[in-house]
Amino acid sequence: MKKSRILSIIAVALMLMIVFAGCTQETTEADFDFDKDITVVARDAASGTRGAFHEIMDIIVKENNTEVDKLVVGALEFDGTDKVVTAVEGDKYGIGYISLGSVSERIKALAVDGAEPSVENVKSGAYSVSRPFLLVTKGTENELIKDFLKFTESVEGQAITNEMNFIGVADSPEEYTASGMSGTIKVAGSTSVAPLMEKLQEAYNELNPDVTFETQAQGSSQGIKAAIDGSYDIGMASRELKDEEAEELNRYVLAIDGIAVIVNNENPISDLAADDITNIYIGEITKWNAVK
Amino acid sequence: MQTRQSNFNEIIMQAIFFLSALISVIAVLAISLFLFMRGIPAISEIGFMDFIFNEKWGPTNTPASYGILSMIVGSIYLTGGAIVIGVPIGLMCAIFLAEFCPDNVYKIVKPAVNLLAGIPSIIYGFFGMQVIVPFVRESFGGNGYSILSASIILGIMILPTIISISESSIRAVPESYAEGSYGIGATKEETVFKVVVPAAKSGILTSIILGIGRAVGETMAVVMVAGNAVMPIDKIEILKPIRTLTTNIVTEMSYASGLHESSLIATGVVLFVFIIILNVSLSVIKSKNQRN
Repeated sequence: MKKSRILSIIAVALMLMIVFAGCTQETTEADFDFDKDITVVARDAASGTRGAFHEIMDIIVKENNTEVDKLVVGALEFDGTDKVVTAVEGDKYGIGYISLGSVSERIKALAVDGAEPSVENVKSGAYSVSRPFLLVTKGTENELIKDFLKFTESVEGQAITNEMNFIGVADSPEEYTASGMSGTIKVAGSTSVAPLMEKLQEAYNELNPDVTFETQAQGSSQGIKAAIDGSYDIGMASRELKDEEAEELNRYVLAIDGIAVIVNNENPISDLAADDITNIYIGEITKWNAVK
Repeated sequence: MQTRQSNFNEIIMQAIFFLSALISVIAVLAISLFLFMRGIPAISEIGFMDFIFNEKWGPTNTPASYGILSMIVGSIYLTGGAIVIGVPIGLMCAIFLAEFCPDNVYKIVKPAVNLLAGIPSIIYGFFGMQVIVPFVRESFGGNGYSILSASIILGIMILPTIISISESSIRAVPESYAEGSYGIGATKEETVFKVVVPAAKSGILTSIILGIGRAVGETMAVVMVAGNAVMPIDKIEILKPIRTLTTNIVTEMSYASGLHESSLIATGVVLFVFIIILNVSLSVIKSKNQRN
């Protein structure tokens, strides 16, 4: 009886120790060891961020009708921006890529070829890793969707876009006045566009409280597919449309977004050459000391 | 009049119960039909050998390749790992609960085991990503997203299945077995390990097979800790990431189209075949048990 009580206390203590070991070791700071392997974190193939990043960085190699994604064997693949951030935040030797608008103090965004990943640099073209955010619809839109699209291109909509660290592209935005419409707009697609979309929807809702939104974010290709088959009104995409997709859809550029290359906060490196990033992602460089 | 009324009721109720029984059969048939009708053409288009015995998975490449050998092996490894971790712990826990456990400890352990069964798999995944992955990274090296981490999580997840079924089968061993053993002078330990547990063999085996079924089919928890990298067979290591059949479907389903989409359904067919094999072996064990 007594024995079993002691036994159970020991067992519980052991379990707690394992849990705390897992928690505390994460935060103990040690010097950055450049001889460690780089943990390469990528997005799943559904992701528009991945499509854009791999294309811009020449990780996808195209030659005479073949197209091969050379992502290094053993790279982690996650199906969401948040998981990439969590993975890089937890791993001192990690590298990943996310939308510029999703950068937070949890991780560190690198300069590429000396250009800081800032809105100005993306706009001027100095920061080369960028892609368009698209909204796509099929056929002739109804009045409600037209109105919402008009809102995204208005002064108010563009202000929200810029506030979120994306770059609005409307040439001469007009003032938007509430239309008082009602109905439901169904939106699906890129997880990178979703946070911006959410803010736009909130602001639009304040002006037109009778409109409801149903939003699903599962990746650009899902959004494009949903817009083509008509199950959703608006598709969000964070990559350029393929030719066969473009034929079937109306394309609206919502904003331009930079893709930030992110590393752990403890990583002393703050600038990488674009070639080095490519080499890390195709496995030519596997250790941090090669890019120190 | 009275009897006719009750006869009528009888028939109605019989019909309702029969219909309920039929619905589950119809559901199984419909699912199998859907899987095989969509999956088999994809397998034949890719080619059976190219699908099952090819380790190259590159659905977005041109030309695309759809080999799932790496994921089949991945599923087997993870399931094996879960058994290595989960079965000894589960079995010992079951023996303890059934034979040695004092009442007041039982009151704590048993509900804890039941609670373990009720925790949603996404919570297991989150726990794995935040605790197990850093723990494995710090203690064993690598980046933590690995076969080992996923096996630990799966090992914990199959515990309740193994514990509760093994425990009840140990309890179901007739008292006379133990009494006979004591009668010829065996100690409590000898009785438990040499008489009672062997007599409960088939129940324990059942629990292990059901545990395997859970491990093979688990998706959400695995996708968060296994890293999802498609590894060539010869590069698979216990501290390297891995992709399983289930995680392949869940990470890519949202955007896939055309042959890629059908190839994921075909992946589901392979998974389904795994489960059928498990169920058949389960009923073989059961019928063998009844004959004895």
